Amino acid sequence: MIRLEDVKMYFQSRKGLFKTVEIKAIDGVSVEIDKGKTLALVGESGSGKTTLGRLTLRLLKPTAGHVFFEDLNITDLEEVHLKSFRRRAQAIFQDPYSSIDPFMNVHQIVEEPLIIHRIGKKKERNEMVHKALEDVRLTPTQEFSNKYPHMLSGGQRQRVGIARALILKPEYIVTDEPVSMIDASSRAEILHLMKNLQDKYRITVLYITHDIATAKYFADRIAVMYNGRIVEIGPPEKVVKEPIHPYTIKLLAAVPEPDPSNRFKERGVVEGEPPNPADIQWGCRFESRCQLQKEDNCKSKQPTLVQIKPEHYVACFLKDKDKS
Amino acid sequence: MKLLEVKNLKLYYQSTRGTVKAVDGISLDLAKSEALGIVGESGSGKTSLSLALMRVLPSNIDTNEGKVILDGKDITQLSEEEFRKEIRWNTISMVFQGAMNSLNPVLKVGHQIAEPMLLEKTVNKKEAYKKSEDLLEMVGLPKEIFNRYAHELSGGMKQRVMIASALILNPKLVILDEPTSALDVSIQAQIMNLLKRFKKELDISMIFITHDIALSSDLCDKLAVLYAGEIIEKGTAEQMFGKPKHPYTQLLLASIPGLKQDASPKFIPGAPPDLTSPPTGCRFHARCPYRFDPCDKKPPPAFKIEKDHLSRCWLNEGDKK
Amino acid sequence: MEERTRNLFKELLSSGSGKVGIAFIIALIIISLGVIIIYPPDFGLKYWSNPVLWADNPRAAPPAWTNLFSSYNQAETVIFETNIPTERIPGVSITKVLYTFNLNHKADEPPSFISMTVGNIKYNNRPPVLIVNIERPDGNKIELYRLIVPGPLPNEVTPFARFSETPFRIQLSGNHEVVSAVSNFLKQEFDVSISNQDLLLSGVDIAVFGTPQDDGKFDVLMGVYKIQVDAFLYNEDDSIGSVKFVAGGSVHGFMGTDTLGRDLSIGLLFGFPVALFIGLVASSITTVIGTSLGIISGYIGGKTDTSIQRAADIFTNIPLLPILIFLSFIVGPNLFIIILILIIFSWPGLTILIRSMVLQIRSGQLVESSITLGASRLRIMLRHIFPQTAPFVFAQMIFFTPSAILAEAALSFLGLGDPSLPTWGQILEYGFRNGGIYVGYWWWILPPGILIVITAMTFVLIALGMEPIINPRLKRGH
Repeated sequence: MIRLEDVKMYFQSRKGLFKTVEIKAIDGVSVEIDKGKTLALVGESGSGKTTLGRLTLRLLKPTAGHVFFEDLNITDLEEVHLKSFRRRAQAIFQDPYSSIDPFMNVHQIVEEPLIIHRIGKKKERNEMVHKALEDVRLTPTQEFSNKYPHMLSGGQRQRVGIARALILKPEYIVTDEPVSMIDASSRAEILHLMKNLQDKYRITVLYITHDIATAKYFADRIAVMYNGRIVEIGPPEKVVKEPIHPYTIKLLAAVPEPDPSNRFKERGVVEGEPPNPADIQWGCRFESRCQLQKEDNCKSKQPTLVQIKPEHYVACFLKDKDKS
Repeated sequence: MKLLEVKNLKLYYQSTRGTVKAVDGISLDLAKSEALGIVGESGSGKTSLSLALMRVLPSNIDTNEGKVILDGKDITQLSEEEFRKEIRWNTISMVFQGAMNSLNPVLKVGHQIAEPMLLEKTVNKKEAYKKSEDLLEMVGLPKEIFNRYAHELSGGMKQRVMIASALILNPKLVILDEPTSALDVSIQAQIMNLLKRFKKELDISMIFITHDIALSSDLCDKLAVLYAGEIIEKGTAEQMFGKPKHPYTQLLLASIPGLKQDASPKFIPGAPPDLTSPPTGCRFHARCPYRFDPCDKKPPPAFKIEKDHLSRCWLNEGDKK
Repeated sequence: MEERTRNLFKELLSSGSGKVGIAFIIALIIISLGVIIIYPPDFGLKYWSNPVLWADNPRAAPPAWTNLFSSYNQAETVIFETNIPTERIPGVSITKVLYTFNLNHKADEPPSFISMTVGNIKYNNRPPVLIVNIERPDGNKIELYRLIVPGPLPNEVTPFARFSETPFRIQLSGNHEVVSAVSNFLKQEFDVSISNQDLLLSGVDIAVFGTPQDDGKFDVLMGVYKIQVDAFLYNEDDSIGSVKFVAGGSVHGFMGTDTLGRDLSIGLLFGFPVALFIGLVASSITTVIGTSLGIISGYIGGKTDTSIQRAADIFTNIPLLPILIFLSFIVGPNLFIIILILIIFSWPGLTILIRSMVLQIRSGQLVESSITLGASRLRIMLRHIFPQTAPFVFAQMIFFTPSAILAEAALSFLGLGDPSLPTWGQILEYGFRNGGIYVGYWWWILPPGILIVITAMTFVLIALGMEPIINPRLKRGH
């Protein structure tokens, strides 16, 4: 459904008066998502996961590489030619407070995509809005239709965002941290809802998150991103239960589990801050924070994804050996 | 020995829609070097509770009752001036929610950490700055950060700065309001490790306010679950995570998408009630899967399950010992 | 949108300054509408700047109500005007037409002048003669003046019409004939001889309206004066259109007069719609231009942004005043040119502000989500970005209104005002130029100044009342 071929995204950042620095937000990512499946993209902030999501929606134009939507190469399409693509690919955003127009009521927000794409007459549109609100369980729909975003809770707003994304019956949806700004108690509900709707409409989903626990629950495959590259990719039972890359292992250790004994021990965490993507690095990008016994390759060459187990790929020199 | 004792604290606001009962009769206690977790959804009154303890109250306050006894002294009786001098930041300090965005962009962060100390006027600038540098190291930041500005720091670093600033006057109690809510899981784990270390090494008490019950297990010895302005269950970490009694607590725990278990997380349908007109009877009854006869009529009292473990649910009536 | 507008008014009315502002603006609008309905459209040129119309008013007279604060009673202007004779006495060959006015003089001073105006006289053979008599309260009668209507011109055809276009006004006070008549009267009745020259200098009014004293001065004679105009017509068909007699006061009307005798209240009233017009037109056009360019500049970015911003830089850095002086010198003072220039030099400030707001909005997820939905640029700018700037834009518009009014006043004060549309600034300037401040014409200097301030204040008060909407963090309570 969506295929990325060696996509690179470099940003120019002004440093000082004359110098510009190249920030390699995405540095050679190839990945694909099958129709109706979910890929979870997991990583810290600054790992490039959001940028990758935006690339697949053509909100950004990659510096190099190609993005395919089915067989359509959307990499170099002009905005005017993108309109039919825009109708088929949608997004659910992280911040339900800033991604919906505060001056529109729920009905207007959900109806807007239909107006933009000139779908249906007023009466048909009302019917579709009603159905979309039912889909996200904002019922009674009549009551919610007239509410303004500030009258809704975070979870309800996010459901408005979902309804808006779904009303065009898209085939592909990018959800960027859809639950990170919502109370823990409502997260499960939103995730549940999204999963149901995905199954119902057979939507391909790119699920972007920093929380590998929700990814495990939601995705068919998990890709762990670190500093612009995918370091491990595979089905959740593999990546979560048998992680291989040292970064994935640390990421998993950071997830809080409700256990009263937690307070007596420290979590194994990736110490320090992620490296600045503006710094030029020759070797493995995780090298500076990796606590494993390093070898020469780590400092001088970039590891590539290698299949270690069926469907399970890892980019790490140290683990390549384990395989042999 | 008890450091802090809160007795029947009430905090009502005046709003256009009526009186908001944000905190409605809350009693808590906290021993020295103990960490208490206060868990609740947004709108459950957890932030209001912390603001009441710090006496940072909005202007539209309606009722503010109850006793807050700190080291055997009722601090609600203090005048504003005394409170400011003796309690705020000296004895109780706070890391506010989203505080990392409240750093002043034009002041060096080192100076901002030292500021409460400079206002004290008992120490000179040099000493205060020295202390500020020491704290930066303690929170795991290099000394050079002292001369940096807020925009040069990442979210995790800013949060560390805020924690350093809360510690500058050696408080006995630190209130942490969602200190990690906007951070990545890995940075969140780093901050939690840091807090754990402080609790052990510095001998300070903490009140940890969060909506994430799983996260609270990382720090808290005791837990109080807040719902619609009331504590519906409280107990030690072992009691609360091991055998939670209140359906709300049980559901909160079940809603965590854990890594170990394979069951999909459950969720609590519906939304928290409007605090201007809390439901009759048990405040949770409308969302409770186990509700039965008395739930919507009589508000349940706090049933004592065992020592330190209280639950406000009619189901626990029989468990009373 | 309707809900927001309703909230806006609710918020406005909930604040003290908002209430006062709203009350003031309603008053301003009502006065302006009244003026527009009542005043002729060419008021400025044809009426205000036409000295003939104001000839019968006292010059530089303070408002009439100043009498209330003083024990010395100053004369008020009394005007008699009629086109129906009091009496008509037909004769064989002469018809006598009488006009009688009773002037009750109560002031402690004589009228500042007396004048008579006749209009629209028609005759067929001999020109009519008009005689002005005055009968004083002490019973004495003076024949003040005798007007012989100009005779027919060669080749003129009957009926001969005289003073039909412009009525003929005789300033009786300064007329030689009147002076000699009064001089004669004084000699006969009081045996006082004053030369014509002296009488002209001291003014005949005091002699007509007073009794001479031993010290050579006159005491004002209060009471009812009967003024009679006798017209002698030599044909049945001859007619006299109108007769007007004015005893000028030294106080006038509610607001006083300027040195041309113009009633300031009339000019000041006309200033209301003009000020509102300048303020609202300049501010609304500025706001529309500034906002649209700001949104375009901020949202589209790139070269469009650069060119708009450079243009804004240029216009903000050109000094406005010299340009205005220069242009009014070339084009001549014209209100529309002034408004145009105010707009040209005011949009950049708003554009720069709106641009920075838009940059912030653009980086938010709302814009991104709209792009994902496939919304066009225009739609995003109009439907999503503009509404977020709207409260600020509205406040800016209200804030800019008084600045436009003040700018016009300042220009008028520099003598660059448009004479065809009298404004408060122009009245102020004229008063200032005539030494109003040194001579103490307070009724001329203060009111236009106060009106400018009140009008500007009105908008500032509204803007203050709107503050909590524009800046929700200031909202009192919840």
